[in-house]
Amino acid sequence: MENEGRRKFLGVCVAGCTVAAAAAAGYPVLRYLAPRSGQGGAAKLVIPAGELKEGDAKFFEFAGSSAVLIKTSSGQLVALSAVCTHLGCIVQWVKEKQQFLCPCHGGQFSTDGTVLGGPPPRPLAKIPFTVTEGNITIG
Amino acid sequence: MLNRLYRWLDLRYGIGEIAEKELTGYLLPRNINEWYSLGSVLLVIFAIQVVTGMLLMIYYVPDADKAFKSVSFIMNEVPFGWFIRLCHAVGSNMMVAVLLMHMLSTLMMGSYKAPRELNWVTGFTLFALVQGISLTGYLAPWSQLSFWATTVATNSVSAIPVLGPTLVEFLRGGKLVGPATLGRFFALHAAVLPVVIAAFIGAHLFFLKRTGISAPPFGRDETANPFEAREYHYQGHPGGIPFFPNYALQDLSSISIYFAVFLAVVFFWPNMPFTPDAFVPADPFKTPAHIKPEWYFLANYQTLKIFPSELLGLSVQAAAMTFLALLPFIDRSPERHPLKRPLFLTLAIAGILLWIALSVWGHLS
Ligand code: FES
Repeated sequence: MENEGRRKFLGVCVAGCTVAAAAAAGYPVLRYLAPRSGQGGAAKLVIPAGELKEGDAKFFEFAGSSAVLIKTSSGQLVALSAVCTHLGCIVQWVKEKQQFLCPCHGGQFSTDGTVLGGPPPRPLAKIPFTVTEGNITIG
Repeated sequence: MLNRLYRWLDLRYGIGEIAEKELTGYLLPRNINEWYSLGSVLLVIFAIQVVTGMLLMIYYVPDADKAFKSVSFIMNEVPFGWFIRLCHAVGSNMMVAVLLMHMLSTLMMGSYKAPRELNWVTGFTLFALVQGISLTGYLAPWSQLSFWATTVATNSVSAIPVLGPTLVEFLRGGKLVGPATLGRFFALHAAVLPVVIAAFIGAHLFFLKRTGISAPPFGRDETANPFEAREYHYQGHPGGIPFFPNYALQDLSSISIYFAVFLAVVFFWPNMPFTPDAFVPADPFKTPAHIKPEWYFLANYQTLKIFPSELLGLSVQAAAMTFLALLPFIDRSPERHPLKRPLFLTLAIAGILLWIALSVWGHLS
């Protein structure tokens, strides 16, 4: 019937408007909830070399994530991501043993990040750095 | 797809029966008018307030040192933060405005009369609660405006004899408005009052469902209320129009009109809810000149200024509110047509004019 078609047409119009309105309201809400960009933290970091004693580790934030700089007992510098490759806990530096221990499931890493034991599947990621005039520039 | 889902649900829970009873089979009086859709508009407004409020809570920090900063952050840096916040602030003003219209239509059409006394009482309580939630939310941005408006508002309680000063201190959580006040007001605004309001909305709707909707007193020969307190009786409207789709469309168009007005204010009159003091962080040592409450409190504010003693001004307001709240128990004649209730109409118009006059006076003074 003609009436039937008219009803259907108006129904489609109402539904269309509702969808459009929902989209118009949804977009701002989505943007509002989206993580703020440009909050990743500094991508370059300078640490004075004198700050670190032999055998010590220094934890810091790097590119929005946790990283660690160590000076081994032999005086070698290593910069690594401190995020355990197993399930993402932050590894601890065990000075006596000169290795990293992950407190969550007992993962162990050597000073250069290789897995020594426990569940972690991959070595800790290395972070590039340069040393100039007593300053260590990370990144 | 939708059909199959419907069939699946219907086979198990009989939702077809519910839809039949509550939607298509729910008949409304033939002469029902637009004013009856304001309740649905209010439900939508409440939902918007809840959703925007939850969203604001993501970035807002209820700490006296950080509140103002976090609100500025929402306004200036979060994408669409200004939009969410303005929707919340404008929405609260609109909620009061629509609520007043809803009450006015109830008064004019006499729908508060027996057997709907409790609909009116719960509705009136909702009105008071909405004022409370507006007042407590006002403090949240911790601006000069919020700080001093709250100081003035809480101070009026001190006029109560004997208990007054203690009560004010209890309300504020200290001698003066301060961080402690923000904590308790925020808890009231974001946790306590929304739940209480939701509960009262539930009760209000429950009573509406039980008594059935009242027929407007216009356009019929018989406008008197047929209620007789012998036994419970649901007021059905045989031969009326079905809620769905007929009145649902009326609801929808009222809601659309509301949205048009609401969004027009949000986009084209964004400073409507604010005065310049709203953009200055709270300073407990400096009262700004001409501090005034929101428009819906202007009449109360002016009343307090007129009466020589605060207690008198407060009592007059309390008496007026109590009278309104108990109206269905005072006005017991079954007649509902406003033109056939000359005393009521005179009083109502006089009351409205007085309220407007006091508000304008309060605004100008
Ligand atoms: S997260 Fe490090 S061992 Fe499981």
